[in-house]
Amino acid sequence: MDYEQSPNRAYGAAAVGNEGRPKKAPVPVKIIVAGGFGVGKTTTVGAISEISPLTTEAEMTSASVGIDNPGQASLKTTTTIAMDFGVLTIDQTLKLYIFGTPGQSRFAFMWDDLIKGALGALVVVDTNRIDDCYPAVDYFEKAGLPFVVGVNTFNGQMQYSLDEVRWALAVREDVPVLAYDARFKASVRDALLVVLDQALDKAIRQKAT
Amino acid sequence: MTYPDPDDPAHPARPSVRPFLQSGPQSAGGYRPAPREEVPPATDPTATLRPFVITSGRTDGADPEIGIETQVTVNPAANRVRLSPEMRAIVGLCAEPVSVAEISARLRLHLGVTRILVGDLRAAGQLDVHVLDNDTPDPETIMRVIRGLRAIT
Repeated sequence: MDYEQSPNRAYGAAAVGNEGRPKKAPVPVKIIVAGGFGVGKTTTVGAISEISPLTTEAEMTSASVGIDNPGQASLKTTTTIAMDFGVLTIDQTLKLYIFGTPGQSRFAFMWDDLIKGALGALVVVDTNRIDDCYPAVDYFEKAGLPFVVGVNTFNGQMQYSLDEVRWALAVREDVPVLAYDARFKASVRDALLVVLDQALDKAIRQKAT
Repeated sequence: MTYPDPDDPAHPARPSVRPFLQSGPQSAGGYRPAPREEVPPATDPTATLRPFVITSGRTDGADPEIGIETQVTVNPAANRVRLSPEMRAIVGLCAEPVSVAEISARLRLHLGVTRILVGDLRAAGQLDVHVLDNDTPDPETIMRVIRGLRAIT
């Protein structure tokens, strides 16, 4: 490194901060956006992200459920899935990542890496295909991750009322079911704020115990 | 240019023909080595380059501390060493703090591969991986995210 030899170079100091070290890394937090194929996960991520959504490929381990085969762990399979994500810089020291993950398969996914440390999740629902989001709801319930069901209203139209969606999903009373429009930043922001509200409740409860 | 292997039992070399004479039908006096049966390369359309070739076959063993959102920076005190092209590309992205997921997306590297390589670079002292002290988010951090989100329009 030549910064040590020429500490008076102005641009060097400006670029890397004090004593040649890169500036302090921000604390990352994340929210998961899950749902079936084509329900508006990528639209949701893109509406709120400050960068156009990036895509990464990841491995997902799935185990078949619903089939009566006790003791057959070998039925686990690994699939590569594409995951879209976006970033929102809260301030210099805090960055919010929003990961959109598929969950449309009838397999339960075990993606503990992804939800580890996550604040919470938004499960996106299309009222035409409500059952697509069952695996995600099941998974977050089992994992104890705070989540909110967000019905994407597309053109402001909903085939079923929120009460009917709640009934169909059979989620607990304390899980919020709300309607939002994935195309609009303000609408996505409000939906994420409800997720954060749930996350805050859980964090305070955990701290109290 | 490949010469037939004289030790190959399927195609024994002719003792009287010098290897350099076997290079062509004209120079070898009409002698042609029997063409080897080439095994055609497997043409599975889904299998271009197996991503875990880059990690020498390791698919497991990624550091559990390295999450997809974990921030990574270059270690400014690191010695310059010869690195693989993928590792060099990773180090090149980390002048500013960047997440593992962003590295994976920008370099089009599989996320699992990226995690393993970042772990290797951390062990080699090339990268600083900023592991958080607490696994679960604390209420103060969540409050800051809420305030930050409310501020955007």
